[in-house]
Amino acid sequence: MKEEQNRAVLMTLIKSLRGKGSWCGETHIQKAAFFLKKLTHVPIDFDFILYKHGPYSFDLHDELSIMRAFELLDLEVSYPYGPRFADTDMGNNLLKRFPKMPAQYQKQIIFIADQLADKGVAELERLATAYYVTLDNPDSDQEARAKAIVDLKPHIKLDAARQAVCDVDVMVEQVREEALVAA
Amino acid sequence: MTYLVYPGATHRRFEHSLGVMELASRVYDIITNPENLNDQIHNLFPETQDKDQLRYWRRVLRLAALCHDIGHLPFSHAAEDLLPEGWDHEQMTRALILSPDMQKIWSGMRPRPDAEDIVKLALGKKKAADLDFTDWQSLLAEIIVGDAFGVDRMDYLLRDSLHTGVAYGRFDHFRLIDTMRILPPPAQGDEKEGSSEPYIGVEAGGLQSAESLLLARYFMFSQVYFHPVRRIYDIHLKDFLSDWLEEGHYPIDTEQFLNNSDVEIVSAMRQAVKIAGSPGQFHADRIINRNHFRVLHEGSLNDIAAFGGTMNAGKIAQAASGQFGMDNVRFDSYPPKESTIDFPVRERDDSIVSAQAKSQVLNRTPAAAFDYVFVDKDILPKAKAWFEKNKSDLLAVNEEE
Repeated sequence: MKEEQNRAVLMTLIKSLRGKGSWCGETHIQKAAFFLKKLTHVPIDFDFILYKHGPYSFDLHDELSIMRAFELLDLEVSYPYGPRFADTDMGNNLLKRFPKMPAQYQKQIIFIADQLADKGVAELERLATAYYVTLDNPDSDQEARAKAIVDLKPHIKLDAARQAVCDVDVMVEQVREEALVAA
Repeated sequence: MTYLVYPGATHRRFEHSLGVMELASRVYDIITNPENLNDQIHNLFPETQDKDQLRYWRRVLRLAALCHDIGHLPFSHAAEDLLPEGWDHEQMTRALILSPDMQKIWSGMRPRPDAEDIVKLALGKKKAADLDFTDWQSLLAEIIVGDAFGVDRMDYLLRDSLHTGVAYGRFDHFRLIDTMRILPPPAQGDEKEGSSEPYIGVEAGGLQSAESLLLARYFMFSQVYFHPVRRIYDIHLKDFLSDWLEEGHYPIDTEQFLNNSDVEIVSAMRQAVKIAGSPGQFHADRIINRNHFRVLHEGSLNDIAAFGGTMNAGKIAQAASGQFGMDNVRFDSYPPKESTIDFPVRERDDSIVSAQAKSQVLNRTPAAAFDYVFVDKDILPKAKAWFEKNKSDLLAVNEEE
């Protein structure tokens, strides 16, 4: 994917999240982008590692800053909360110039936004970490994966980790049933 | 190469490393001071209640700070591209910290520091992604390499400001460090349950010092690190080294690696200028006799935004090379990738708020970036005329094919 196409897909994801009620701070975008890439295989150009609040991409962090500096995204602030990203006229103009990739991956973007837009940071952290652990341990049962989450993120309680693993397994099944893995 | 623009900038990385070690120690002592911790932090980080652990990690942090740059090449970042693929100065730092010579040093210490712990804190998760970090290790690495308050950045801004004479790189680091705390992140809207994974933030009273640091960063990047003449000297240096080094790249064998210093490189450039046909003579002359390329195009952030966020230097340089020859054209770009930094701030009523929400300065601090095309000064008039004639095509907004 070209740089502008990558930005257009990210912009579309942000607009979808906002449209469905997400706060859309950086953590929300990070986790949604992680699922978009790893669960539905949309080839956005970001690498994820396990870091703050679970899977995290330094490239995506940079890209959000770049898009903001180029006025493709705006950063809205409202005291005392963390900032949230929003689209801009320049960003929407980019979408008009680069419409192909957002159209090609529309189903996947909508699915991810539907699944995650109403989630807060703590739940997103658990879900994304659960999926990260699931990818790393595809043959492990739910209990083993829940324990692995708590090992990685000791501030997550075991019951919450168990629930996150269950929720992620349901998402994986849904993606399979609805044939949402991008070609 | 900065000293060719700011003659006072002859300071060395060793001084910086000592500075980083000192500042890291100060930050550690402040954030682990029992008066600045609460039960929530103690629960998340049991290390903060164990004196032996606190002593161990203080030592590891100081060693990591001292060694965080030992893998740098002569003239720092200028020719880092000449390391073999997959290597950068951080990987060299890691190789050196883990090397048998340094293991001998670690093994003489009591308690013995684990070299891998030193690597983690010196590089941080971004540059040591293959290593598993605990939350405690991530937090300590943030002390050195953190975007907002990393002491690496604090020291180089202050030190470079002093030596270049660019006064607005200064800020009140004593006040900033005194107000740094381990804090939970601010809430994201009216969510029922926020994350409890902590960050390094500041007390409200330190916010102005933090603003001052981030402004200093913007000014120093704009005025010093991204100065066009400094950038083109880096490119000339890279061109020289590419010709002069055996096989065109730096060795990664630690012993051979350490044989190259700034002194050897400057000496080699002087020799190359004197002896006709020496490898890299043409490029050495550019540096030694200050015969550097000149700016043909400088894309401002506003221009780049107006053109839909496309940095055009590469495209312009390619077209100019077709017109004037590859040897006469160079380009260099850096996107504005550090414009959005947020961290928790503890208000006087103990509530945690977002720094971006509380500080209009942080929210509006511009990003530093550059997009330069350079040409040989002998062809500059012709190149300028050519660029003016073709500007509208060269700066056109990209469209999907």
